[in-house]
Amino acid sequence: MKEIWTSIRRTPYQSFSAFLILFFTLFLTLILFVSLTFLYGTLNYLETKPQVTVYFQNKTEENQIFKVRDELMSSGKVLNIKYISKNDAFNIYKQLNKDNPLLLEMVSANILPPSLEIYAKKPIFLPEIAEYLKKQGDIDEVQYEKDIIDKLLVLTNTIRTSALIFFSYLILMSIVVLTTMILFKIALKESEITLLKLIGATNFYIRKPYILESLFLGFSASLLSFGIFSFVVLYFNPFLQSYLKGITTLSVDVFNYPLTIWPLNYIFFGVVFISISLFGAIIASVASYIATNKYLKV
Amino acid sequence: MITFDKVTKKFPLGNTALNDVSFEIDDNQFVFLVGQSGAGKTSILKMITQEIKPTSGSIIIDDFDVTDKNFSQTINLRRKIGIIFQDFKVLVDKNVFENVAVSLKVIDADQSEIKTEVKKTLELVGLSKKEFVFPVQLSAGELQRVAIARAVIGDRDIIIADEPTGNLDPKTSWDIMKIFKKLEGKKTIIIATHNTDIVNSFQKRVLVLKEGKIIKDQRKGGYEL
Repeated sequence: MKEIWTSIRRTPYQSFSAFLILFFTLFLTLILFVSLTFLYGTLNYLETKPQVTVYFQNKTEENQIFKVRDELMSSGKVLNIKYISKNDAFNIYKQLNKDNPLLLEMVSANILPPSLEIYAKKPIFLPEIAEYLKKQGDIDEVQYEKDIIDKLLVLTNTIRTSALIFFSYLILMSIVVLTTMILFKIALKESEITLLKLIGATNFYIRKPYILESLFLGFSASLLSFGIFSFVVLYFNPFLQSYLKGITTLSVDVFNYPLTIWPLNYIFFGVVFISISLFGAIIASVASYIATNKYLKV
Repeated sequence: MITFDKVTKKFPLGNTALNDVSFEIDDNQFVFLVGQSGAGKTSILKMITQEIKPTSGSIIIDDFDVTDKNFSQTINLRRKIGIIFQDFKVLVDKNVFENVAVSLKVIDADQSEIKTEVKKTLELVGLSKKEFVFPVQLSAGELQRVAIARAVIGDRDIIIADEPTGNLDPKTSWDIMKIFKKLEGKKTIIIATHNTDIVNSFQKRVLVLKEGKIIKDQRKGGYEL
């Protein structure tokens, strides 16, 4: 630690520039990472809702409905189908309007249509499923959130592609700038490195102080990025709560483990902090490794 | 033992630094390399430390055949060699103790060993009262003592010095040479020098180089070109 401080003190401008570039990269990465996580969480959430609801005419026989259900299930594009009979529909209606006796009196099971609630394996199958249903007889109405799903799909794909390009650029830029900064620092110590090589130092021994300093800067930058990010997110938490009203939970799969991202929780913040620190450490290590390579060929 | 067998070094632009040079240096022998500038003294030293490789011929240092194509023990070889430069090459941001300790730190010696060995070595070179002084506060002679301490500390069996008195006044040069005298018989010492008085006075083995060739090898010689 003492050596790291000494090195930073001796080349303050280079160290500060390295810190700033790391902070810039990590903060933007953090925003991209969290935005994508929330988008995927929203997609996952929408996938848990009935994506297509098909209402049959009142006269439709159950056999006919089951035939449609079985054909859809065998298509390989459907994850699950829930049959809502007239009586089920009436029970749901009663539950929804239990505080309004007038509405309950006006409706009986006979006037409510039977329906199928369909969950697709992937959102891209939804238009196909809807088209198939519309071609069937005895269909009263096919409902699905086409616009929302389509927009979300397009948005997610656009953001994912843009994020990938932007992210690659950020990594490249930060590694190049960091490498240059470290090269400046190392150039001042070229004769020391040569001497160390001649007296039998291993490459790791020579690299170690530069890697440790970069790791320190990387960790400090990720800590600051995370601090600012947490402050902003917690500050806007009331706004997010009203915006996401009605959505009880958003989660994403991380290596097959569901990670709850909404409501905000310590585990999510922990995962974000660990990810951004690791990312900072990797960028810093790669840059210092490349920079030191140049001077180790003695 | 150091063995050079028919060693030739040609640089890419065509100049020949060494031409068919052969000699042997026994363990703990004291040898002067003398010759005019460009005669090949520094090339010999650099080949011992593996800074440059010969174009042809073979070099064997102790058990290491450094000219073997598969040689991969450069670090271990360098850990046997202490180097002293004309321009001292001390680390300006480290004090005397740290400058000497670096030789042991690179071989992962433990702290207690470093402390004991550095103190002992600083006593040998006459710098025991200046262990916490930084290079900027030291004279040229003292800087060279630091460099010598760094070179001889630990188990470094071979000490090579390239013009160790080149930047020093005559009196300081003699003081420095007295340190080498103390090490005589304990380590192999190879000194490249132009200092006639010192070579003549020591009466040790002298290898005389001229235009990349050894023209004289005197067991107890003086400075003759």
